[in-house]
Amino acid sequence: MKYYVTVGEHNREVDVVERSGELCVSVDGEPLELSYQEIDRLGQVIVLHRGNSLAMSIEGDEHRVFVTLAGHEYPITLEDERERAAQLAASAAAKGGGTVEAVMPGVVVELLVAEGQEVVEGQPLLILEAMKMQNEICAPSDGVVDRLHVEAGTAVVAGEKLVTLVGKAGD
Amino acid sequence: MFDRILIANRGEIALRVIRTAREMGIECVAVYSDVDAKALHTRMAHVAVPLGGATPAESYLDAQKILRAAAETGAQGIHPGYGFLSENAAFARAVTEAGLTWIGPPPKAIEVMGDKIESRRAMTAAGVPCVPGLTDPVADAAVAVEEAETIGYPIAIKAAAGGGGKGIRIVRSPEEMEGAFRTASGEAQAAFGDGRLYLERYLDRPRHVEVQVLLDTHGGGVHLGERECSIQRRHQKLVEECPSPVVDDETRAAMGAAALRAAHAVDYEGAGTVEFLWSGGEFHFLEMNTRLQVEHPITEMVTGVDLVREQLRVASGEPLGYGQEAIVMRGHSIEVRINAEDPLAGFLPSTGVIENLRTPGGPWVRLDTAMYRGMEVGLDYDPMLGKLIVWGADRDRAIARMCRAIEEMNVGGVRTGLPAALAVLEHDDFKGGDYDTHFLEGMPLDPPREWEALVAAAAAIHRHHLARRRALAPEAGGRRAWRARSRSAVSDHSRRAARREERG
Repeated sequence: MKYYVTVGEHNREVDVVERSGELCVSVDGEPLELSYQEIDRLGQVIVLHRGNSLAMSIEGDEHRVFVTLAGHEYPITLEDERERAAQLAASAAAKGGGTVEAVMPGVVVELLVAEGQEVVEGQPLLILEAMKMQNEICAPSDGVVDRLHVEAGTAVVAGEKLVTLVGKAGD
Repeated sequence: MFDRILIANRGEIALRVIRTAREMGIECVAVYSDVDAKALHTRMAHVAVPLGGATPAESYLDAQKILRAAAETGAQGIHPGYGFLSENAAFARAVTEAGLTWIGPPPKAIEVMGDKIESRRAMTAAGVPCVPGLTDPVADAAVAVEEAETIGYPIAIKAAAGGGGKGIRIVRSPEEMEGAFRTASGEAQAAFGDGRLYLERYLDRPRHVEVQVLLDTHGGGVHLGERECSIQRRHQKLVEECPSPVVDDETRAAMGAAALRAAHAVDYEGAGTVEFLWSGGEFHFLEMNTRLQVEHPITEMVTGVDLVREQLRVASGEPLGYGQEAIVMRGHSIEVRINAEDPLAGFLPSTGVIENLRTPGGPWVRLDTAMYRGMEVGLDYDPMLGKLIVWGADRDRAIARMCRAIEEMNVGGVRTGLPAALAVLEHDDFKGGDYDTHFLEGMPLDPPREWEALVAAAAAIHRHHLARRRALAPEAGGRRAWRARSRSAVSDHSRRAARREERG
């Protein structure tokens, strides 16, 4: 099975094939000799590679994991070929606008824009309070506010829609 | 000395106080909110009293509930920890009026130092150097723009009732004033119930250096040297060290004397911290924290003084029994705060369940935390999960030890600031002692690329195993569910049978 693995901002193709009970792994076409053993079902893993012992901790689901190795954390997204095709199609469709989602749970303190208002990239759209800090949530691109999904006082969870922007007329 | 005290707090600081109290033979009463019923501080105390509720306002900030708990359990004193009611003068007074001992400074000292404007006046009068700025709050953004012209940009807008970095905004030009004023005022109102703001000059390449003081009720007082806390983001500290790499013996003596002048000016008693901004060899008074500080352990590591023990001794009326010459700083200590936040996403708060926890150990490593596997990290309370503290014979060895300890540690289930702290400690400028309070702002936090291919491979294998396990899951899951039901039916039956026997 081929996986498209993004570590931070770097893309790699990892092929994992099971041959007679053994895993054969290659990264970007290069075979990689390694032994991978789970220590527990909680994500503690030991990887042995050319005599190096790498104690990793892996947590997450099929699509998003965080790997911790020697105190450093690697944020990783994974896609197989089918998921990658779907993702590319979706991002092409969303160009010129899109929906700003809450990246953390919190409470909307104040809306700073109204529906129909033109906004520029970086302009604060609303203030979201989380853990006693007020955070300005800004427009990711120029556009027009198409829809406000929340109002002042709304409690949101991570991933909830906040504001939908559309491309400016004439763009 | 007390026989029993109540700790009006939660988390690692409640544990910290319980630990010393237990060593002194003092019994501890813990109070807990509904969500903290299984928390470590609840489990480690001698007596635990439920406060109910989930939010701070319903629990740890409810003075009446806490006073009632103290009365019901016969606690003789209340230790407030930090945060919550620790700098609430009205609560301190209510504790005393209820006939209990307040393990903290006199309420009047809390009041004066808690109001940034009043404290500036008092400090100026006492000859403690202050940062250029206004002593009065400004009415609105328009007035702030006018006043800013005389003070000079960049300007720091601060909450009059503030602390902990909340309600602070930096303004570099008049155009930024209105937006910054609005969010700062809102944040101050939400955090302290007081939206008043004041302005001061924002110092260039400033370093945050603070002095620990300790005063008894008999006129005795010492300072315990400084801590440097310049590694911060959004004014929340991440890495602290003791002593500061820029403070020499002469400056230390001068800062210590200024800190003690500040403390005496408000008739301070107990443990307190006088914060200074250090810039180009000069230091200016910032504020005084009239409580135990989060980063107090690094002072303990270097001086060998148990600050909580001294707080309890002072509160019970004992004299310190030693002078300044008894305070000797030996070696170097570093603390890293473990906050539930995502350094790679602008340090936004992170929530989840701590599914996995690997803690460091070994020589001169101290972990002050209330974390446990299975703990839920929500948004109700402060995002600080704990503190990792190390000591070394010198600064280089302390840095190496902290790196080693962070490499050993793993907190799974939430993101933490630990990788960012490691990046700081591995940075050449930090190692050279050359940093200021902006250090973290511009720092690249990407993990090293050396092992990236192996990490990518491990992630893919992890997914491969997950997919296989999931493919086998439906059947296995069904069987488990059936077994669980059947087992619970049997146990209900046997419980009923047991009850019948008891009655019979």
